[in-house]
Amino acid sequence: MPKKVPVRLRVNGEEHELHLPPQRILLDVLREELNLTGTKRGCDLGTCGCCTVLVDGEPRLSCLMLAKLAEGHQLTTVEGISPAGALHPVQRAFIDLGATQCGFCTPGFIVTAVAFLRDHPGATRDEISRALSGNLCRCTGYVKILDAVEAAARTLAPAQER
Amino acid sequence: MAGTSSRKSGSAGTPRPSSAETDLVKEAEATRASSGYHLIGKRTPLIDAALKVTGRAEYTDDIKRPGMLVGRLLKSVHPHARIRSIDVEEARRLPGVAAVLTGDRYPTPFGVLPMTHDETALAVGRVRFLGEHVAAVAAVDEETCERAFELIRVEYEPLPVYDDPKVSREPVPVKIHDRALRDTNLQKEVFQHFGDVPKALEGASQKVKLSGKYLGVTHGFTEPHCTIAEHTPDGRLTVWSATQVPHYLHRSLSEVLGMPMHRIRVVKPEVGGGFGGKSDPFPHEIACAALAIETGRPVKVLFDREDVFYLNHGRHPTQNDVTVGVDGDGKFLAMDIDALLDGGAWSSFGVVTTYYNGVLAMGPYRFDNFRYHGARAYTNHPPSGAMRAHGGTNMRYTVESVVDEIAARMGFDPIELRLQNFLPPNFKTINEFRITSNSVRQCILAARDRSGWEEKFRKLPYGRGIGVACGFYISGSNSPIHFTPVFPQCTVHLKADMDAGVTIHCGAADIGQGSKTVLAQVVAEVLGIRMDRCRVAPVDSDTAPVDLGSYSSRVTFMMGNAAKAAAENLKVPLLQAASELLEVPPDRLEASEERIHVKGRPSQGVPFHEALHKAMETKGALVASGAYSTKPLGGTFKGAKAGTAPAYSFSAYVAQVDVDLETGFVHVENVWAAFDCGRPLNPLAVEGQIEGSIHMGLGQLLSEGLSYRGARLMNPSLLDYKILTPMQMPKVECLLVGEDDPEGPFGAKEAGEGPLVAALPAVGNAIYDAIGVRLMDLPITPDKVLRALEEQRKKGGAVRPPAPTRPSERTPTHGGR
Amino acid sequence: MHLDAFDLHQPTSVEEALALAQRHAGKFDFLAGGTDLIPNYKMHLNVRPHLISLDHVAELRSFRPEAGWLGATVRLRNLEGSSTLIRRYPGIAEAAEEIATPLVRASGTVGGNLLVETRCFFFNQSYPWRQALGFCLKADGDQCHVVPQKTRCYATFSGDLAPALMVLDAHAEIAGPGGRRRVAVADLYDPKGDGVRRTKLGPGELLVGVQIPPGAEHLKAKYSKLRVRPSFDFPELGVAVALEEKGGKVARLEIALGGLETYPRLMKAQTAPLVGEPLTEERVKALSEDLVKAVRPVHNTFLAPDYRRKMTGVFVRRAIGALRSGS
Ligand SMILES: Cc1cc2nc3c(=O)[nH]c(=O)nc-3n(C[C@H](O)[C@H](O)[C@H](O)COP(=O)(O)OP(=O)(O)OC[C@H]3O[C@@H](n4cnc5c(N)ncnc54)[C@H](O)[C@@H]3O)c2cc1C
Ligand code: SF4
Ligand code: FES
Ligand code: FES
Repeated sequence: MPKKVPVRLRVNGEEHELHLPPQRILLDVLREELNLTGTKRGCDLGTCGCCTVLVDGEPRLSCLMLAKLAEGHQLTTVEGISPAGALHPVQRAFIDLGATQCGFCTPGFIVTAVAFLRDHPGATRDEISRALSGNLCRCTGYVKILDAVEAAARTLAPAQER
Repeated sequence: MAGTSSRKSGSAGTPRPSSAETDLVKEAEATRASSGYHLIGKRTPLIDAALKVTGRAEYTDDIKRPGMLVGRLLKSVHPHARIRSIDVEEARRLPGVAAVLTGDRYPTPFGVLPMTHDETALAVGRVRFLGEHVAAVAAVDEETCERAFELIRVEYEPLPVYDDPKVSREPVPVKIHDRALRDTNLQKEVFQHFGDVPKALEGASQKVKLSGKYLGVTHGFTEPHCTIAEHTPDGRLTVWSATQVPHYLHRSLSEVLGMPMHRIRVVKPEVGGGFGGKSDPFPHEIACAALAIETGRPVKVLFDREDVFYLNHGRHPTQNDVTVGVDGDGKFLAMDIDALLDGGAWSSFGVVTTYYNGVLAMGPYRFDNFRYHGARAYTNHPPSGAMRAHGGTNMRYTVESVVDEIAARMGFDPIELRLQNFLPPNFKTINEFRITSNSVRQCILAARDRSGWEEKFRKLPYGRGIGVACGFYISGSNSPIHFTPVFPQCTVHLKADMDAGVTIHCGAADIGQGSKTVLAQVVAEVLGIRMDRCRVAPVDSDTAPVDLGSYSSRVTFMMGNAAKAAAENLKVPLLQAASELLEVPPDRLEASEERIHVKGRPSQGVPFHEALHKAMETKGALVASGAYSTKPLGGTFKGAKAGTAPAYSFSAYVAQVDVDLETGFVHVENVWAAFDCGRPLNPLAVEGQIEGSIHMGLGQLLSEGLSYRGARLMNPSLLDYKILTPMQMPKVECLLVGEDDPEGPFGAKEAGEGPLVAALPAVGNAIYDAIGVRLMDLPITPDKVLRALEEQRKKGGAVRPPAPTRPSERTPTHGGR
Repeated sequence: MHLDAFDLHQPTSVEEALALAQRHAGKFDFLAGGTDLIPNYKMHLNVRPHLISLDHVAELRSFRPEAGWLGATVRLRNLEGSSTLIRRYPGIAEAAEEIATPLVRASGTVGGNLLVETRCFFFNQSYPWRQALGFCLKADGDQCHVVPQKTRCYATFSGDLAPALMVLDAHAEIAGPGGRRRVAVADLYDPKGDGVRRTKLGPGELLVGVQIPPGAEHLKAKYSKLRVRPSFDFPELGVAVALEEKGGKVARLEIALGGLETYPRLMKAQTAPLVGEPLTEERVKALSEDLVKAVRPVHNTFLAPDYRRKMTGVFVRRAIGALRSGS
């Protein structure tokens, strides 16, 4: 029987009490134990960005993080980015401007972009492309992703100015 | 800074309003708008986008079945070896292991093409590449599977390793497959000759030959392969898989497992990208089903990223020589091609690849003499297969480089030279392709005008340059892969019930390209209803009529036509019912604005749902079916069907680059992509295909490549296989100038693969304009650029290519055809 | 991909971490951001049965750029985002900003970057891949496949911060069983080592942080990095330059190179003769040629060694040029 330790995770505002081997990776726990399958596994090695989640609001790669070390932090997955029934402006823009094709990279981009725009409302296209440079997309060539985040930045900027 | 020179945003070369008399793009848009469709041609967000942006879309790995086991596949540690024995007894006894299978359990060979079955679910008696699967384990978890692997003892007898197609082409002591040609390791050879090439070349006033070398590249979709299989006590097998072609998987499962097709159900969940890499039926899909049968429990096989690289089936490592002869006025006389493809260990689509590398080379140009010799060799590399713009990419790069070189040597502007040599619309080529709609002229003129070509070509400072290239691709393979039984390429079923929604069933696989959205658009357009009334049912072989799959850019054209026919058929009883309610004959009615009404008078009619309910009074739910079959096309010579298509896409791209002369880094600043996909049904999606294609093409051009030392793949990871990042994308302008195709649905043609092919040579030719060297060894990494520059300096200093000397009679935008 | 089982320890002080390290001597790794260690563990590279997480050790998180102090577990993201750091030590900020990707930098730390595992085509591969080759000297085997022999590993040092810190003469603070000590960052690495052990940290020693000496903020400093893609990729070459000129003559010039050899190197022998001399174009050219001659990259990264050597000259020239023109 593998050794297990208690792991208490707070994901999208909900507490989860789990018993897990200490070597369990956060991505695996989100997907397999908590059924939060919106967070995707593209490489498992930090090289694609599909597994991005927010840890205390910061985008981090869940495939490189031990679940046990996520204790005491607020975790947000793509499922928790917007309140039920509503869409975040970034999500809205992704839909309207064609920024998702196969959709597999999309949760990672959404989560990264939401956090970035929160800290940098009104960011320029260059700043956005740098901020998203840890996420790979094979379908869109990024053009419409950048369009969408730029458009969302414009929507968010006036709202967040004082 | 050199290493990061590609960071610069596309500031240079801002498109200037054209100096041309007319803007071809606006003109095309205006023509299309005049036909008054309410959905067709509108920028339409994908109907599943809301699910994707919220993480709700369900991919195969997101599915959990009760009691599901983990299936894992043991990889071969030899690139080529006989398997003397496999001992799995100890592994079977390991607690937590439910089943261990080896190749002898289901040894029936299979493959995507019926004539080249050379794959097996697990290796049988022999391994042919590093990473081929020799055993399958189903266990409670991944750790247990890996412990079981350590207990499996495989005794190998190494065989000579073939890692060079040039060696495979010669007589060899050991054949990789018995079916290889003669005493070689060649899998397929194609000879074609039309007209008289030697004679035409002899009479040519200028002959240019270039040789291209291309590393293999792979699809790089973000979702790794994943399959779930479940065999239930009622004797049925269900397989969920990340596949582009559920139908071929369905057939192969049946053949290999010896189970009739009607007892197998294939379901395609959302697929995280394919690009050809999920279009073969794969061994792991069958092995997964075999484990499910063996254990009686659901089994999931999920690939690591490394496994994805081993399964590959990507673009062939290629060497090709292209010679073109022209007369003194620049008229193309003859083309001669020789291509050698590294097929890796299996056949896959190889027969098709071998043909495509030749037969797609001429278009968009007219040639009266053409010769092709193509060969595909087996090696002990991971299998090559079909990848976006299959067979049309590497050859296109060499051809377009040759055309550029001819222009340079003869003093032509390369745009003028191309304009002289384009195929006209409605034409039969020397290899008997039927060309119908063809807007390649508009493409090149639009790209010229928007890019500011005339102010830039040969005029930018040394190190910066602009280049042009054209493209041509099939809009759906005219002949299906399986000849029997005969049935349509695509069938669509519709059901309209009292809820006044329309359910669309079709086997076409949406892999992110947006085919579900096209289905809904087409059906709603014909029925004159809002799109949200249309529900596209999941692809499930129990309910969805067969579509032959998402490959060869066939879906929009074929599925679109089938959907249109189905919707027309569904409309008949609706018009009939409305006619009864309105007491107006059905032929005076039409459907629009959610109503069935008197033509041109929406107020004189009934709402859609009232007509529907009336029609249902006696029949119940309305069902209708529509299908699309291709007509026979092509000549009667050997291989004449290869490359025939009901329509072809055309393109012309102009690219602008900035080359760092000290480091060799190439920064692609702009791409003006003029594309003829006929009428774009959904311009938003078409642009997405073009932009994505440019990304993929530039990746192959600049940094992607499967690198081998011997038979060992050195870079099976997304860190070392270098896909471009968001910071490296050029500014892209999509110019959709196509005219309606006579046979495409609402005039549409493909836009899935064709947009890739011109991207690479446009940049290659721009590099030539910038620094005067022609780089024919892909990927063009900075070290290669620098070496070429150094050689050029040794030969006498930096030389710009000469400016055109021919009186360039500027072809007006409205150049007559 | 899964990790082999281990015990996870979460000390809250340096002392506790050191005690755990002593108790599990030879059988543990420290874990900071994990962005280097976790991928290596997933590939079953030199895994240990104990991991000592540094997450809860508050002292290591201390970040005081105004005083030149960078705690070992300060996140790379904090470096690039700190206006004080950018102003005082632009070379460090530049190096930090060029590491990996923004997502990796959100987890990756200063200490982990200085102690990052060296890299090689034959090493950074899965267990089955390495098994098929018969493993190598650096993990599970006894043969090197890059320079065929059995005594030394030539894996490439691929951290970006080290050169940028070395040119400022930054010192690493190390806590160990014998107390605390400070060594120059340049001396963390042992050019005479066997390449398998990647630093001179003793068994059970912990990196506490890095101190940049006073005065370094007056140096002009720059870091430039050669890599194929502007994100994701490890350095194929990293050039750090620090320069001070007085009265038209070089008062101080330091150059450190990374991404070329098994260890980052401070190129004193080549830069020292220039002190007191005016930095003419010829001298810069000669210096860059000397540097090209002095470095010996091997073929175990993406770009070929001769190209990386050539680029050393180009990058040094450009970096010095940029510093002098103030861009
Ligand atoms: C896709 C990708 C790209 C990358 N690209 C780059 C790149 O371009 N440049 C680059 O420099 N790095 C790169 N990295 C490597 C890595 O992310 C960084 O070097 C990072 O700074 C490592 O920090 P960490 O805290 O995550 O280290 P960890 O993984 O936690 O630790 C790394 C090593 O240092 C040891 N260690 C850590 N902290 C201490 C301490 N305080 N005392 C003693 N030992 C300690 C650990 O035991 C371990 O052996 C990349 C990684 C990935 C996944
Ligand atoms: S340099 Fe040699 S010993 Fe070191 S990791 Fe590479 S192959 Fe192994
Ligand atoms: S799955 Fe985490 S970065 Fe790819
Ligand atoms: S939408 Fe498919 S990978 Fe980004």
